Amino acid sequence: MLKGIAASEGIGIGKVMIIEEHSLEYQPKQVADTDAELQRFHDAVDAFCEETMEQAEAVKKSAGEKEAEILMGHIYMMKDPGMVGTMEAQITGGQCAEAAVEQICDMFIEAFSSTGDEVTAQRAADVKDIKTAILSILLGVKVVKISEAPAGTVIVAKEVTPSMTAGINKENIVGIVTETGSQTSHSAILARALEIPAVLSVENATTQLSSGEQLIVDGSEGQVITAPSEAEIQEYTEKRDAFLREKRELENYRGKKTLSASGEEYELFCNIGTPKDAAKAMEADGEGVGLFRTEFLFMDRNALPTEDEQFEAYKQAAIVLKGKGLIIRTLDIGGDKEIPYLGLEKEENPFMGFRAIRYCLKHRDLFKSQLKAILRASAFGDIRIMFPLITAIEELREGKALVEEAKADLRASGIDFDENIKVGVMTETAASGVIAHMLAKEADFFSIGTNDLTGYTMAADRGNSDVAYLYSPFQPSVLMMIQRIIKCATEAGIPVGMCGEAAANPMMIPLLISFGLTEFSVSAPSVLKVRKTISKWTKAEADKVCEKVMSMTTEAEITQYLKDVV
Amino acid sequence: MVSKKLTIVNAQGFHMRPASTFATAMAKYSSDVVLKHNGQDVNAKSLMNIIAACIKCGNEIEVVATGDDENEALAEAVSMIEAGFGE
Repeated sequence: MLKGIAASEGIGIGKVMIIEEHSLEYQPKQVADTDAELQRFHDAVDAFCEETMEQAEAVKKSAGEKEAEILMGHIYMMKDPGMVGTMEAQITGGQCAEAAVEQICDMFIEAFSSTGDEVTAQRAADVKDIKTAILSILLGVKVVKISEAPAGTVIVAKEVTPSMTAGINKENIVGIVTETGSQTSHSAILARALEIPAVLSVENATTQLSSGEQLIVDGSEGQVITAPSEAEIQEYTEKRDAFLREKRELENYRGKKTLSASGEEYELFCNIGTPKDAAKAMEADGEGVGLFRTEFLFMDRNALPTEDEQFEAYKQAAIVLKGKGLIIRTLDIGGDKEIPYLGLEKEENPFMGFRAIRYCLKHRDLFKSQLKAILRASAFGDIRIMFPLITAIEELREGKALVEEAKADLRASGIDFDENIKVGVMTETAASGVIAHMLAKEADFFSIGTNDLTGYTMAADRGNSDVAYLYSPFQPSVLMMIQRIIKCATEAGIPVGMCGEAAANPMMIPLLISFGLTEFSVSAPSVLKVRKTISKWTKAEADKVCEKVMSMTTEAEITQYLKDVV
Repeated sequence: MVSKKLTIVNAQGFHMRPASTFATAMAKYSSDVVLKHNGQDVNAKSLMNIIAACIKCGNEIEVVATGDDENEALAEAVSMIEAGFGE
């Protein structure tokens, strides 16, 4: 068995087709007849553009507009004066076409890669692709046509390049294995768009495997099973069928309301980390965003983002969501999330230290610029503000006062925003659970962050294997905390959501229904699963289970019981 | 020679699509068009050079046009950048 990164879920069983990288070696030479060489070069460029155009058309049908655009970009890049013009000059100077193409492409690959910018570095992969394609044409190397692969083929390659994608036919390709790549690489995005199971970063896959051998690709677990036995094939065929059945069944819940079996309606939101994720939330059929983490704007850079930059990001998410709810959590740094340029001192106990709302209230300029950016974006959608790590009511009051200050500034400048923007509390500390009845009178909504709430209530770090056994949202103390937070919100008549991982746990869902949660916020891939789980419970059945659970005294007893009933 | 200083406003900066539309638009002028960014002179008619310059949202750049149709070239460049390339 070979291990890799699970990049596109599902199971594929088929025969290996190794996509070899052909040798593109040539003998660099000085050319006497430069006109003829230029002609040879232009013929190759024309052939390249024609092929790429055809591929783009094919990709548009199989994978969509965005993928096709990447290929069209190759044509624009090649036709750029910086590329074709410089290459022509080299050839006129007596170089052979191959050397001209290689040198100029390498120059841009180096220039793009060395910027240290992820998006620009990705363009280097495009230039590599162009170089390979043009050299192949010039050298007359025949490239294996993936489009001619027979049904039941597993593609094994160093990486899936944009130009290879053109040939991938969903009907025939049952799996993808590559030697490089990550969850976010081009190969992964493509595999998921085509719904082909894929395992990436499998070391030496192209040399360890050989064409024609049978292979199982488990894109859910990130495993590749070589030389599978009859029993394994049987087992994985069943797994594959179950996976596909479940997926088909879940599709029935797409576009539906989130209703319990007894008709209570819930909001089913997504947790996101970047404006791009907002689109994923919509694709996944999320009804809004229950947690937009804003740390991405502050991380992996050398200076604070400007108010305008933040505004653009929040606005972009709001526009994508088309008026659906968008809860933006203000900066939650510190603890495990370090930002070097903020110059935070090393703390003995960072999780109990200077972080999140505590840091923001001491750095009012930074906080106010974020609040102003959020307020400005509120003119473009249904945006709500959420403060993390609240432990005392003064923090909520000070935060709200600062929101009012930010509003006054905007009003004075004549900038539009939502005057009635809701300001809520992320209840994720034991303190906020205990004073939930006080907070509920002054907050517009609650959202329970179960990961931190569990950690802070149990005083246990889940990353520490010696105490991880204590870290469970099914501990009676944590459940009582959740129950209390929801009860206080209900009594005050404010909405209460959950944006921690527990919200998607089928064992937790009946308890949340019974407690009276109004909004579930989960990761995009969980949306349909959670909608299905909620639809299986009536309020009365959930109440019965909940009553039983809340009478139990140990976590072990509770989880055993819940496993049996769900 | 005419020039103007501007700030990039679209979230993604000068990425593939805007860089490509921009370079194509500039190519139709006979004037030289240069983007001054981080002390570098970037040929505004070359998509590849623009990408390599890695111009991001919030960056300040100066557009400099020199030639017979420099005013028209500058006007179009400025309006494209200010409009965030319609993104």
